[in-house]
Amino acid sequence: MEINANKRGEITFLSLKGKLDSVTSPNLEDKLLRLIDDDNYNFIIDCAELDYISSAGLRVLLVGAKKVKAKDGKIKLANLKRHIKEVFEIAGFTAIFELYDTTEAAEASFGS
Amino acid sequence: MPEKIMVVDDEPDLESLIKQKFRRQIRAGEYDFVFARNGLEALAKLLEHPDISLVLSDINMPEMDGLTLLSKINELKKPTIKTVMVSAYGDMDNIRTAMNRGAFDFLTKPVDFNDMEMTINKTIEQLSILKQALKEHDLLLSIQHDLSVARNIQLAILPKTFPPFPDIKEFDIYASMNAAKEVGGDFYDFFMIDKDRLGFVIGDVSGKGVPAAIFMAVSRTLIRATALKGIGAGECMSYVNNLLCNESVSSMFVTVFYAILNIRTGVVEYSNAGHNPPYLMRTNGEISEIEKTGGIVLGALEDYEFKSNSVKLEPGESIFMFTDGVTEAFNAADDLYSEERLVELLKQLCGKDLKDVVDAVNKDVEFYSTGVPQSDDITILSIKYRNPE
Repeated sequence: MEINANKRGEITFLSLKGKLDSVTSPNLEDKLLRLIDDDNYNFIIDCAELDYISSAGLRVLLVGAKKVKAKDGKIKLANLKRHIKEVFEIAGFTAIFELYDTTEAAEASFGS
Repeated sequence: MPEKIMVVDDEPDLESLIKQKFRRQIRAGEYDFVFARNGLEALAKLLEHPDISLVLSDINMPEMDGLTLLSKINELKKPTIKTVMVSAYGDMDNIRTAMNRGAFDFLTKPVDFNDMEMTINKTIEQLSILKQALKEHDLLLSIQHDLSVARNIQLAILPKTFPPFPDIKEFDIYASMNAAKEVGGDFYDFFMIDKDRLGFVIGDVSGKGVPAAIFMAVSRTLIRATALKGIGAGECMSYVNNLLCNESVSSMFVTVFYAILNIRTGVVEYSNAGHNPPYLMRTNGEISEIEKTGGIVLGALEDYEFKSNSVKLEPGESIFMFTDGVTEAFNAADDLYSEERLVELLKQLCGKDLKDVVDAVNKDVEFYSTGVPQSDDITILSIKYRNPE
């Protein structure tokens, strides 16, 4: 799992590459929690190169969503592959996360 | 705690000399000395003081010499006792024999007390590293034990007797769970709510290990207790969800499919809380996903309103429920088993006995992932509606 982060304005962009499973999700959890501790509350996660997500991966995103919600922040997801999107739909996570087709669309939604 | 050191020597003056030289360490509670005059006495003292960790022994002594004592100490198989031999300067033969028999170090006579102190300290340091390692080893063993306890919790609460209700002819039910090496959090359960209604549930807790096993046990108990009130499937999920949201440490959650079969009519009322949609197996070989109810995993979002849906089973038709351990089993090429492969297999299994269906799927998953360690629990629950006649 490759995780890259960079910040533009008020929004922190994370891009995930590879498999987010019980082995790799602790890495994302560490990174995400550290960023939140450093007062980053609005995230766009680019999933264009995310190939697989397990329930352990969903849990990490949920941890993050709860943390930023307390600070009026949001985690939005963009560019999900079809089968990843299905996982979100089956788990009902679309009630917690906004999904966008592009990072630009996700970014624009923060402005409004 | 002072380090207990035994000095074995037939020279009577040595005792007072050592007590004098090391008086500061003795007073400070760093060292505690025990003395023996020969090997035999030393062995008796070792039994009397099981906390002796360092033995300084002369070689030439009456009754039992130092080399024999060394062999006897080795036979005790206590890695936390180290022996340092004391020998005449130049007595290389005995020193080599002692080292080959497992002595930790040696000192030469006449004893240089500075050198003796350095040797004692170095040995004690080595011992403390060893003791730390042993402690960590014990801790690991106890964690392993905890994990097997968690595994046993998981297995013990799953119903395993089939058929579970031999007197009821209106349905068949069969289930299996192949547990992954690391404790996961899959479960299934079924129970008669009243004489006409069978409740059945399959679930998968996020994460692994002891927390997952505990969360799974809590989830299963709450679902059963709530379901037995006889309320609707969606209402049951809404109620349990709020309870689990309060229990959920570190954002654990559980995916659940809960359903109620009316054994008089074949109507199944169900609610899906984020679980993989089960399959409906028609008698004509048609396999279809059970329509979603749009629910979210339990324990994630408070006050969520879960909806119910229903489907009518004709005699001979069945519902096949599973956890993602089935469809997300990897093969050697890192590809997933997939829903598609499962559906193709189920098509050929329509109308077969439930046990044969479940066994066939387990076998195919096992075949698919040959050579790849199982990373998740593989759990299947299936029920078939039957004509009671």
